[in-house]
Amino acid sequence: MKSRSKVIMLIVASVILMVWSVLTIIPMYWMLIGSVQDTKSAASFIPKMIPEVFSVAPYERFFGKTDVMRWLFNSLLISSILTVTNVFLASLAGYAFAKLKFPGNKAVFWILLSTMMIPAQVTLIPLYILMIDVFDLGNTYTAILLPGIVSVGNIFLMKQYMSSLPTSLIHAARIDACGEFGIFWKVILPMAKPGLAVLAIFTFVASWNDFFWPFLVTNSTEMRTIQVGLASFVYADTTDFGALMAGATVAALPMMILFFSLQRYFLQGITIGAVKG
Amino acid sequence: MARVEFRNIRKEFVDDNKGTFTAVAGSDFVINDKEFVVFVGPSGCGKTTSLRMIAGLERQTSGDIIIGDRVVNNLHPKDRDIAMVFQDYALYPHMTIRENLSFGLKNLKKPKAYIEQKVSQAASILGLESMIDRKPRELSGGQRQRVAVGRAIVRDPQVFLFDEPLSNLDAKLRVQMRVELSELHKRLEATIVYVTHDQVEAMTLGERIVVMNNGIIQQIASPTELYANPQNMFVAGFIGSPPMNFIDVQKEGNVLRMEGGTFTIPDSMAGALSKYDNRHLILGIRPEHITGEDLPGTTNLDYKYSTKVQVVEHLGSENLVYFRVGNRTVTAKVHPETTGYPGMDKTFIFNFDKVHFFDPETEQRIDW
Repeated sequence: MKSRSKVIMLIVASVILMVWSVLTIIPMYWMLIGSVQDTKSAASFIPKMIPEVFSVAPYERFFGKTDVMRWLFNSLLISSILTVTNVFLASLAGYAFAKLKFPGNKAVFWILLSTMMIPAQVTLIPLYILMIDVFDLGNTYTAILLPGIVSVGNIFLMKQYMSSLPTSLIHAARIDACGEFGIFWKVILPMAKPGLAVLAIFTFVASWNDFFWPFLVTNSTEMRTIQVGLASFVYADTTDFGALMAGATVAALPMMILFFSLQRYFLQGITIGAVKG
Repeated sequence: MARVEFRNIRKEFVDDNKGTFTAVAGSDFVINDKEFVVFVGPSGCGKTTSLRMIAGLERQTSGDIIIGDRVVNNLHPKDRDIAMVFQDYALYPHMTIRENLSFGLKNLKKPKAYIEQKVSQAASILGLESMIDRKPRELSGGQRQRVAVGRAIVRDPQVFLFDEPLSNLDAKLRVQMRVELSELHKRLEATIVYVTHDQVEAMTLGERIVVMNNGIIQQIASPTELYANPQNMFVAGFIGSPPMNFIDVQKEGNVLRMEGGTFTIPDSMAGALSKYDNRHLILGIRPEHITGEDLPGTTNLDYKYSTKVQVVEHLGSENLVYFRVGNRTVTAKVHPETTGYPGMDKTFIFNFDKVHFFDPETEQRIDW
């Protein structure tokens, strides 16, 4: 009886997962086939799932845009810098909150954490005014980078991860004449590699896919990131769906490679913080 | 090497929810140069906190700690010239054994040749040569323990601190490592402070033992002295396995009355017990000082106690026989040839030369 209900549960779960997988895959498949069809077919309301005519014209139009390589470079540069700063600063802060005793440790952490409850839309306008009007950083890399240098979510992730590392190693290093930064650099960071990898992947993906903030603070075509650049295929009276899909495919490619090569860390990242809180 | 001194050391922890907790309540003692001293006591007695205060990992609330001839209150752990072996070994998992051993010396900016010499010397002493380039995860528990000890040895510290280093090992390995640590102490002629909750470890390793409970030092003495002359009921009950038996007795004239029997007080004890007339006392006697009447060679029949045997445990080298006196269970450690089975009527002989008396209010031993 018990095994029968288990089988039913398994079947139900499998069906739900399969439907979910199809729903997830369809947009990507649509993007892919849209990028190898003529514009008319790509833009049709009910797309043809198997294209009648294969064409690389959309890719030619996409790469034909003069600034595409620059957009890709911008995205790569910004995502890389933000990944490095987030990994470094979030791990430093996470280590401090998890392992160092200092007055106000808990209070500061909770204040930081509570800022996660404020929706990004609320801070967007003050942040824009700060960057553009106060600091006069409009249309610069600094304006794109500065707000994302480290996120509270990443600090929280690292704090949870660092908490699981044994404190006795820090004490051992302290007795072994290692300075406080040395302990972080030589003992903690090498042990935190899996956590850092997860953090790096999440940050890179998030900053690569970010559209709104770079769109807001840049106005020249050469300062755009790839996601912002894709919007330039939407014209006043028409949209070049083929080129747009080709661009989206090119933009998604690094993420797909990243995901499949580091799938293990992605899955690990989901469980970080769930084991020990 | 150096002496270690605690001068009126007090340590309080302040917890937001639980308030102030006193971990060490005014400790005073001196650990002599080259001495092997063991801190022993139950969980939460303050032994590890005391060790961590010597190491500088915990700052005392008041009092002075002296290592050698320096007051080290304000010194960072690295400046105290100590080395510590942790309960969980605390080996750096991403470093090889060689890197683990040399890590401290590198931080101290010692010359490369000196580091290499010290590392190979420690590896040779501890038999780690063949695994020197392996990572800790590739080693067994005993080998990891040796590496942890090696990391302490290479530093040539004034004082070695051991925080329950054998508690993660299995029973057989623990015995082996105990012997190795003892030999190491003789070889290094080091001052060693060792923390354990295992009284067998304390008795076998320590030249002197500091018995602690609730943050208070109960007694500091050699293992034999602690065993033979415990100062109070806590020490008497903590040191020795099985622990000392405690029996409630009432002193009436020159007789001690207990449930199921009476003992005449020997003349040698009469003076010391005179002020406890018509009062309740605790009689303490170790299991090996209670023998079976049927054992050949038993002569002193003045202090016999007849009762029913409850449980018998056959350990091979001896038998443990359990019986009840009043509401307390008493253990006799008897010769393996002594007969006994549950429910059997049996007479036990108490060796009164070895008994102790404790004041039930203060729990202190009454000297006689």
